[in-house]
Amino acid sequence: MSRIPLVLAGVGLLAAVAACDGQKQDTAGAAGGPIAVEAADDACKVSATTANAGTVTFEIANKGTKVTEFYLYAEGDRIMGEVENIAPGLNRRLIVEVPEAGKYQTACKPGMVGTGIRGDFAVTGGAQRQSDANAKLAEATKGYAAYIANQTTALVEQTQKFVDAVKARNVDDAKSRYANTRVYYERIEPVAEKFGDLDPQIDAREADVESGQRFTGFHRLEKDLWVSGLQSDSGQIADKLMTDVRTLVEKSKTLQLSAVDLANGAKGLLDEVATRKITGEEETFSHTDLSDFQANVDGSKAAIAALRPVVQERDPALLTTLDKEFANVDGLLAKQRQGDVFKLYTALSQEQIKEFASAVDSLGEPLSKVAEVVSK
Amino acid sequence: MLLSSALIGLREGLEAALVVSILVAFLVKTERRHALRWVWPGIGAAVVLSVAVGAILTYTTAQLSFEHQELLGGGLSIIAVAFVTVMIFWMRKASRTIAAELRGKMDEAITVGPLAVLLLSFLAVGREGLETAVFFYSTVQTAQQGTTEPLIGFAAGILVAVALAYLLYRGAVRFDLGKFFKITGVLLVFVAAGVLGYGLHDLQEAAFLPGLTTLAFDASNTIPETSWYGVLLKGIFNYSQQTTVLQAVAWVAYVAIVLPLFLRPTRKPAPAPAVASTKE
Repeated sequence: MSRIPLVLAGVGLLAAVAACDGQKQDTAGAAGGPIAVEAADDACKVSATTANAGTVTFEIANKGTKVTEFYLYAEGDRIMGEVENIAPGLNRRLIVEVPEAGKYQTACKPGMVGTGIRGDFAVTGGAQRQSDANAKLAEATKGYAAYIANQTTALVEQTQKFVDAVKARNVDDAKSRYANTRVYYERIEPVAEKFGDLDPQIDAREADVESGQRFTGFHRLEKDLWVSGLQSDSGQIADKLMTDVRTLVEKSKTLQLSAVDLANGAKGLLDEVATRKITGEEETFSHTDLSDFQANVDGSKAAIAALRPVVQERDPALLTTLDKEFANVDGLLAKQRQGDVFKLYTALSQEQIKEFASAVDSLGEPLSKVAEVVSK
Repeated sequence: MLLSSALIGLREGLEAALVVSILVAFLVKTERRHALRWVWPGIGAAVVLSVAVGAILTYTTAQLSFEHQELLGGGLSIIAVAFVTVMIFWMRKASRTIAAELRGKMDEAITVGPLAVLLLSFLAVGREGLETAVFFYSTVQTAQQGTTEPLIGFAAGILVAVALAYLLYRGAVRFDLGKFFKITGVLLVFVAAGVLGYGLHDLQEAAFLPGLTTLAFDASNTIPETSWYGVLLKGIFNYSQQTTVLQAVAWVAYVAIVLPLFLRPTRKPAPAPAVASTKE
């Protein structure tokens, strides 16, 4: 008959649709194979309550006396899949595509009425989501790397000018450049700390210099400029500072940071503020601590900004808290600014310092949670 | 066990059997037996297709996602409604030409004929065919595991549906034409309204349309779908115990528009210039 081809074409078409939906491997619960569901008139026993994202297969056996239905619901009772008409004594199979990890619910509906006998069902992992998350994380580290590149370029330029001023024995010029040069260093301190002895050579304070070590770097020049006057070896120290900074910048270009590094760095900068800047011991001679303080906060903010899309997706509430606390600290700092210079740290009252300390603490607390959120 | 499977078979089979029997009765009564040869291929194709796809889904790893299944069911339902609606008015028009003793004249409405008849029978059966076929296979598989009751019950249910449809056909053929066409037409309007509501509900389940949980009424306790009268209502009119607002609105709107149109007096010359006076 001429109609046979028509029928066959129809079969082919539907088969094609079915095939498009996939020739998928059954992945089921931890045990592998379909998840067995035993439905009765008053019970709904699901053999596994977790599955990996992807194709989940349920094998439902109706042991009851009533016709039943089986559903897999997403949050808000969105139907992911259902099998109706499971007559008593029948086994029916439900194959559901669950692309996203999350909380789901299984339900048997004996007599096909009501909301059914519910059970929680967790879906974990998810290849789709994972690669998407990885893309977001990669985006974050890329964004932060760009920030580092920006800051290091400026650091080299400014350090050069500062060093030139020192070597030209131009004390006033050097003093005015000192704090602004350090800003670029303080912003990327977590990166600098990755390179063992470079950080101490550039940024060690006199009190921290171990015996037998030479006191070099920014703070040595700070002491010369503000307290002891320029020494015979000040030029040499300045040259060494320049060399060290260049080395640091070169090395930072090859640095592969992970999202967790960013989160830890953001937290590290705040700890730096809490333990050193608040005490006023960083800039013992020049008292430009507030400038460093601001730079640390900026650097921390930049790392969080890079991670923003990731945190937004996984813990929006945390991001709201962070924004609020950053704004709080920035607001306090802004009050201590006069034009483009900060007040000297010695000009702050004990009250104001306390206020800073508590603002920094309340920012440190949410910051310490970021690493966990991005490493999920 | 036997009964509940039988009721499922009855429910799944009833609507298709009903539509097909009305179609056949109409063709027979209006001396259009030549169109009958289009009915069986339509039904046959739908059955073969359902059975084949059911087999593919049951015995291979191919699968239809839930959304696709519901979109398919919902989409076919809505196409079926369009066809049944066309059929209702075609019957009306055709019966008028008959009444006007214009039997020899081929009304152009009938020339839509062969393909429409073929497709309508196909849709009537195929709409529920896939779910029914997959259900059928699971009863077969269960039978292989030693419990033949669901299979027997299911087959019995289908047979009852066909028997009922046949009785309806025999009875319907006895009526005089005017009555026959009025009664079956009205019945079909309600069937189509039910199919429309059911199709929309499918689309709601696939989250293609909103409002799945916004219920117009919930008669789960008064007229459960598992009772025999619930099954008949569901089989014939696609009654659902939990009817969503969208479903209810669509049902009411369809009936409110189509029924008056169908029942309006045929005194006035309708689109066709042929003036007719019915025997009514």
